Amino acid sequence: MRISKKLKKYRRQIWTGLALVFGVSLIALIVWIFHLDRTITTQFEGRRWSLPAQVYAEPTELYIGSAFSADEIERELKRLGYRRVQELEDPGSYRRRGAEIELINRRFRFWDALQEPQKLTISATASGIQSMRNGRGEDVPIFRLDPLLIGSIFPIHGEDRIIVRPDEVSRLLPAALKVVEDRKFDSHHGVDLAAILRAAWVNLRAGEIQQGGSTLTQQLVKSYFLDSRRTFGRKIEEAMMAVLLEIHFEKQDLMNAYINEIYLGQDGRRAIHGFGLASQFYFGKPAAELQLHEVALLVAIVRGPSYYDPRRHPKRARARRDLVLKLMAEHGVISEEQAERAIERPLGVVSSSTRAGGYYPAFLDLVRRTLRRDYREEDLTEAGLKIFSTLSPYAQSKAEEALAQELERLEKARKQKREQPLQGVVVITRPQNGEVVAVVGGRDAGFEGFNRALDAKRSIGSLVKPVIYLAALETGRYHAASIVEDGPVEVKLSNTRVWRPQNISEEFYGPVPLVRALAQSLNLATVRLGLEVGLPEVLGEFQKLGLERELPQLPSVLLGAIDVSPFEVAQLYNAFANGGFDARLRAVRAVLDSEGKPLKSFGLEVSPVADPAAVYQLNQMLVQVMERGSGRRARSYLPSGLVVAGKSGTSSDYRDSWFAGFSGSHLVVVWIGYDDNTSTGLTGSSGSLSVWSRVMSALHTTSLNAPMPEGLEERWIEFGTGLAARPGCGEEVIRMPLPLDVELPPAEGCEVGVFDSIGERARKWWRGIVR
Amino acid sequence: MRKRIGIVLTMAVLGACATPGPYETPKTPPTPEQEPGAPVETQPGSPPTTIEGSQPLPEPTSREPVLGPASRALVDHAHVQLASKNYAVAAGSIERALRIEPGNALLWIELAKVRQAEGNYVQAENLARKAISMSIQAPRTQARAWQLVADTYRARGKNIEAQEAEEKARSLTRR
Repeated sequence: MRISKKLKKYRRQIWTGLALVFGVSLIALIVWIFHLDRTITTQFEGRRWSLPAQVYAEPTELYIGSAFSADEIERELKRLGYRRVQELEDPGSYRRRGAEIELINRRFRFWDALQEPQKLTISATASGIQSMRNGRGEDVPIFRLDPLLIGSIFPIHGEDRIIVRPDEVSRLLPAALKVVEDRKFDSHHGVDLAAILRAAWVNLRAGEIQQGGSTLTQQLVKSYFLDSRRTFGRKIEEAMMAVLLEIHFEKQDLMNAYINEIYLGQDGRRAIHGFGLASQFYFGKPAAELQLHEVALLVAIVRGPSYYDPRRHPKRARARRDLVLKLMAEHGVISEEQAERAIERPLGVVSSSTRAGGYYPAFLDLVRRTLRRDYREEDLTEAGLKIFSTLSPYAQSKAEEALAQELERLEKARKQKREQPLQGVVVITRPQNGEVVAVVGGRDAGFEGFNRALDAKRSIGSLVKPVIYLAALETGRYHAASIVEDGPVEVKLSNTRVWRPQNISEEFYGPVPLVRALAQSLNLATVRLGLEVGLPEVLGEFQKLGLERELPQLPSVLLGAIDVSPFEVAQLYNAFANGGFDARLRAVRAVLDSEGKPLKSFGLEVSPVADPAAVYQLNQMLVQVMERGSGRRARSYLPSGLVVAGKSGTSSDYRDSWFAGFSGSHLVVVWIGYDDNTSTGLTGSSGSLSVWSRVMSALHTTSLNAPMPEGLEERWIEFGTGLAARPGCGEEVIRMPLPLDVELPPAEGCEVGVFDSIGERARKWWRGIVR
Repeated sequence: MRKRIGIVLTMAVLGACATPGPYETPKTPPTPEQEPGAPVETQPGSPPTTIEGSQPLPEPTSREPVLGPASRALVDHAHVQLASKNYAVAAGSIERALRIEPGNALLWIELAKVRQAEGNYVQAENLARKAISMSIQAPRTQARAWQLVADTYRARGKNIEAQEAEEKARSLTRR
């Protein structure tokens, strides 16, 4: 009684309390819902995804007279994911009949023009393209194919994607997703209670998670807003957000968001998100061109991108793909017959090494560093920029291949086993315009990490010599036949120490002409020459050629005791290869914003940095390096008649093996060494030269054939002595360009040179008599 | 053997008027088409070494460049773009051609003209000088490049340098 009385007394208070708790909870719930709602609307309606900048390789130019055979064109089309068909209908397909190839290109926005799809008929023989016609039968003198997407600049957390619009994906894709993942997608309000209960029942009986009851909307929420923790609270939050999303957005928007958001695979540090990128990653082509069996595979992967990875677990992936196809047929998305035919097809996944959208971390790193000068990091990783790079996938793959194979060979040839792998770098440029066409940053080219091409500053040894000889030639006091003494050299360093350099052979060669001193890489002759020219002048030459760094004022610089990256070597040698003109090395041609508006183009700029006549003489001396110096072993690899110039470099204790050289249209720099800077036992010519010559011979390159500048004439001299000679008179006679006013003493037995022209006539006259 | 006899004979014939002295080089311009190691017999007789201008030198083999069909189309496109002041697109088109024919001086001249039109006179001069270095055996083309160098000087108010460059252009066309 007292109790009930008391209760009565407090009933009001209890009710008030309960109401208060309820009210507060309700307000909290409403606040929470509002918070979720705001999160959803601001994030979802604003810029929906951060879009990593997409990087394209250089487009392949097809033109009449280009050296592409029909086979090579077909290989190129395959690389771009073009489909071979019987009847041409869609962009991204081609048809081949013998030497004739017909194709319809993809629509593509280049930085300077929009290219609409059109039919192109190419006829090509083994020697190259003979004619090209468009659909109206008109001649097309030049045509560029859509470029290969080589990667993107994604943020630290590694999320990469290519956004596709609803009209850019096959209609089969949303249909398949609904059938497999969420059959009530079109009718539910974000959550499918029946599906959740069904899944709960199945999982309860199995004692493990076998089925998910999440709708596509819930999956989207989970991927977009939440982390992967599976707690009850999370589930509630997820369901609530899904419901809110459904209130705010149309089904079609949600489907499109799902297609662009969902995680579909992993490529090292790079997470593959969305079907647009997944299509490139697995099939090497845009999502618009996916065929039924390919759509089914991607939908199969959704459930577990690592478990159903078609590259690592092809059987598993295939079984699930076929299940997807059967489900699609069962629910009337496709016919039984279509499903059966698709089940017959192989997975069709491109291998990760040859895939389009292949991954070139060292080159992309260069692109990123180039752009960081003009753009903030966020612009690169979020703003959806399109970057047109200078990479040649062909040259890049040849360089990767040559380096990997030669390093393996060099290691096998070695008796001692080393714990660390021998490393290497290849940089290839087009000297005339400074475009970097390939960068291999290490033995495992796909490994992203220390970019040796840009960051490994190593001692360059004899690679410095051409700089010294150029400095000498530019004074006007020296020419290729000038004599310099290869004898003991002593330089007093300031702190009472004395520097006594040696030749590699530890011998002295006496008086030698410059051409021989350079070709045979004689250290003492070079040091003497450098000291005669003057250390400041030599160091100045480095700056002129584009080395953007202070160098130590030490005579040891003359023997290459400076630490330079392979990329910087390429910049130095590019000026030689470009006839004394500097063209800044560049990896980017142009940048477009996400709307396709050009933001910036990196135009070709040149500036004269060295006397063309001096550079011409130097280059001819570097040709002699290849003919009879440390580069002569390259001859057996190179196409006969290909004129190239180059120089080897070996640092002290054989720590670094270098070779840098060029043809008329390519410059190739190779470095080999260990990361911990221990001895490799290799010289420049026993190590890097083999990689260099393999790369050079694989490139479709042209001979060095710059015209001889005015003020020079070609003369016959003896290689060993630099004395005037003629063919058939003197030993090891070579032709070298020399300044017009140079007078040379004749070699023994060649003294009649004084009457050269008259003697020539006399001989003809005599021959006329004796004939 | 034959050569020996020839040499001996020459020595004998000319020995009388030869003054032993320093080795002299015949100032013979090289013939462009001559390959290294080509048989001596195919060399043309040496031209007389007279003062330039008093007697015409034998015409050196002229190698005036021409554009291939692809480059032609790209240059035509560039001209259209240039007319509507789309300098970046015009330059891009010529750069495409240069990737195909990097050694063609005409293309370097075309690129220099785009830079000149754009008002980037330093680049225009540099590119024209690149064209000059690539047209040693093509006097007509080289003359055009020198004229362009002159234009870039004139645009920068360097009239003396412009006159010198024009003089070079004129001397080449006279040749």
